[in-house]
Amino acid sequence: MARFALTRLASLVGILLGLSVVVFLLQAVVPADPVRAMVGASATPEIVEAKRHELGLDQPLPAQYAQFLSRAVRGDLQMSLHTRRPVRTDIAAFLPATLELAATALAMAIVLGGALGLLTARGRGTSLRVGLVASASVPTFLLALVLLVVLYAQLRLVPGSGRISAELEAPTGPTGLLTVDGLLAGRLDVVRDALAHLALPAFCLALAPAVALGRTLRSSLQTVLGSDHIRTARAKGLTERGVLLRHGVRPALNAPLTMTGLQVGMLLAGVVVIESIFAWPGLGLYTARAITSVDFPAIVGVTLVMGAVYVIVNALVDLAQVAADPRLRVR
Amino acid sequence: MSRRLLPLVSVLAVAILLGSACSSTPPPQQGAEGGTLRIGYLADMAQADPDVFYDIEGNTVILSVYEGLLKYKPDSTEVAPSLAESWEVSPDGLTYTFKLRSGVKFHDGTALDAQAVKTSFQRRLDVGAAPSYMLEPVASMQTPDATTLVMRLKHPVAPFLHYMASSWGPKVISPKALADHAGKDHAQTWLNEHAVGTGPFQLTAFQRGQRYELTKFADYWGAKAHLDKVDIRIIPDIGTQRLQLQSGDLDAILHSFPQAELEAAKSNPDLQVRDFSAFLNNILYLNTNKKPLSDPALRKTLASAINRDTLVTEVYGPYAKPSSSTYPSGLLDPALAPVSYPPGETTAPANTGKLTFAYTADDSGVHRRMAELIQQRLDAAGFSVTINEVQLPQVFEYVSDLQAAPDLVMQTNTPDGAHPDMWARIEWYSTGGLNYLGYKNARADKALDQALETTDKATADQLYGQAGKIVAQDTAIIFIADPRDVMVLRKNLTGIEHVPNYPWALNFATLQKG
Repeated sequence: MARFALTRLASLVGILLGLSVVVFLLQAVVPADPVRAMVGASATPEIVEAKRHELGLDQPLPAQYAQFLSRAVRGDLQMSLHTRRPVRTDIAAFLPATLELAATALAMAIVLGGALGLLTARGRGTSLRVGLVASASVPTFLLALVLLVVLYAQLRLVPGSGRISAELEAPTGPTGLLTVDGLLAGRLDVVRDALAHLALPAFCLALAPAVALGRTLRSSLQTVLGSDHIRTARAKGLTERGVLLRHGVRPALNAPLTMTGLQVGMLLAGVVVIESIFAWPGLGLYTARAITSVDFPAIVGVTLVMGAVYVIVNALVDLAQVAADPRLRVR
Repeated sequence: MSRRLLPLVSVLAVAILLGSACSSTPPPQQGAEGGTLRIGYLADMAQADPDVFYDIEGNTVILSVYEGLLKYKPDSTEVAPSLAESWEVSPDGLTYTFKLRSGVKFHDGTALDAQAVKTSFQRRLDVGAAPSYMLEPVASMQTPDATTLVMRLKHPVAPFLHYMASSWGPKVISPKALADHAGKDHAQTWLNEHAVGTGPFQLTAFQRGQRYELTKFADYWGAKAHLDKVDIRIIPDIGTQRLQLQSGDLDAILHSFPQAELEAAKSNPDLQVRDFSAFLNNILYLNTNKKPLSDPALRKTLASAINRDTLVTEVYGPYAKPSSSTYPSGLLDPALAPVSYPPGETTAPANTGKLTFAYTADDSGVHRRMAELIQQRLDAAGFSVTINEVQLPQVFEYVSDLQAAPDLVMQTNTPDGAHPDMWARIEWYSTGGLNYLGYKNARADKALDQALETTDKATADQLYGQAGKIVAQDTAIIFIADPRDVMVLRKNLTGIEHVPNYPWALNFATLQKG
């Protein structure tokens, strides 16, 4: 276990270093002057240069990178050019919304994908399969807009945007996840309202991963269902459902778990569009604004955090795979 | 691909909704007091510090919470009293004496006096952010008594009163708040998300990335706001904003409503489409510093080939006019610096080569449509044009390498104040902040410098006209359109007051919700 943790930690550091280098190189390649955009058209050349110097942007790129690294190891991700706050503060403010959305979407994807895989492996669930595949084949932004028109504007079943209704005084901590904080504070009204706001954006994010998971699980299950131990289970007189759930699922989990880890990356990429459409105040929205402002400190910070989340989730997936299939521990 | 298709799909989705929603119409009610106005911002305003804020999205917050010495009259370019009830300018244009209003309170209950104004203005200079340029000509400030502020300039500055009335002009912040939260940065960290001004509304919530809340200030010195609150939500997708406006969850969209949807909105009985004169100006910069557009004759051919007048109608419909001058409509008599681009039969020489054309993205879809039509028209005239959508910080970089910069850049700009200097100096002065493609003409610069220090308005206007004529003759910038400031509001909103120099903004204090 200690070796596993150390290996993962080393890979996390390596990946984050690699990501930071890529973003810094991008900064060199993209011709843009964020300082001029920041100080405005009427700023005198002296103000522009003073700001450039203050931000360290008048130094060569390697020097900027060295300075970034020395500050980053102390947890200082520099100041955002757009919000003029420490990037660390911004990320702390925006990350919980994205984590709550992504975690809900992942949970939805696992439930929907699991149902799809289990049903279709037994030759059932055709309508679910057709519905999910058809919905997932529609671009996410289009699906989101259509669902907004129908479920929000016409039927008024869900809220139109944001994380929580303006009239509700939401608890401010400790986790920043409104559903969790609402539960901890005993505020069921907040939990209900937060879940209502989560439903549509999480569903839109969950669809494509759900189909990918479902298909992988189905294929895996079909392989497992043809194996010897399943034949033995059937010979013992177990029902088909019992065979599937007690003897089929666990050995078939390896590939779907790998797919779950991969889909987390897709899901994190999808939040930029979904958060824009649903005015979800998370890192996706923050990133979209950072990109239009060419706010490289913010872009680097978000990239590192997203990279870390991806690596950590995949490490958890590895652990889950070992739990599902103990033979992996030996290897 | 998805980001490019998003506006188009939004338009289709909302068109269906708008079409299906032409049902019962509540009759507009007049004169109601109280209530909450709900509007959306497409982007976070980043900071609420009036000495740092230098954007357009967010100026409704600044203008509701803070006040300066002067403001503009509605639908006018004329400056009017605000915290100063009167003012005098010395004949040499160097001394400005402002008589301040009595009985003005800040939101923290402290009283306004001349020292408070001086402290605030000095703070703007100490912070030294972009809007500080408006106070840099000030050599000294004196407060001979509690209601008098005397400002002595280093040299005459023709637009100085307009600096004081500008949306981004010096605002007065409570000295108590500045002292209490001074920190090591002149209270910048605190004022990033808090505000203590004298305006008709107080900033009572600033949730970054989510919403801001303004609450009526009961002790406001002037006509008190009709609304109790203004709830501003950050909704970055214009399609989502339109759905919420249609559903009654928003009361107004103050800018960027897609041009293609305006007719449908007009026919919706729940909505009103209002358009106001503004100093927005759609312009096309030409790169005079590299081949092939370093050739003035080719620039003129290109200007004719665009067939500008029909282009403007096609893109904006009734919501813009072809520019008649190098200055936005209303800043200067158009006859002093006229422009026209009669369509011509000439075509580009065969060896012209390819032209690159960059434009900045906008949510209303106008820029993309305009760029595509210009490309078509230029291609038809023998040019070969490649268009690219870019972000503003990329545009600011062009001037550092003009040989690598595009041949054409299109953008919509607005001046900080209703004075010709505040337009010409940023657009085509050789070091102008929005002179993206580095146009230089020493004669134009000289005329602008002379005008800046000229106290006689008629003479100064002649000089501004002279500078404008030079840039028109050089065809360094093609002045395409003077668009209107278009807003879509729920029908029950009344008391609508707009100032041409405060784009994308209404006076929230006069608004009423029936």
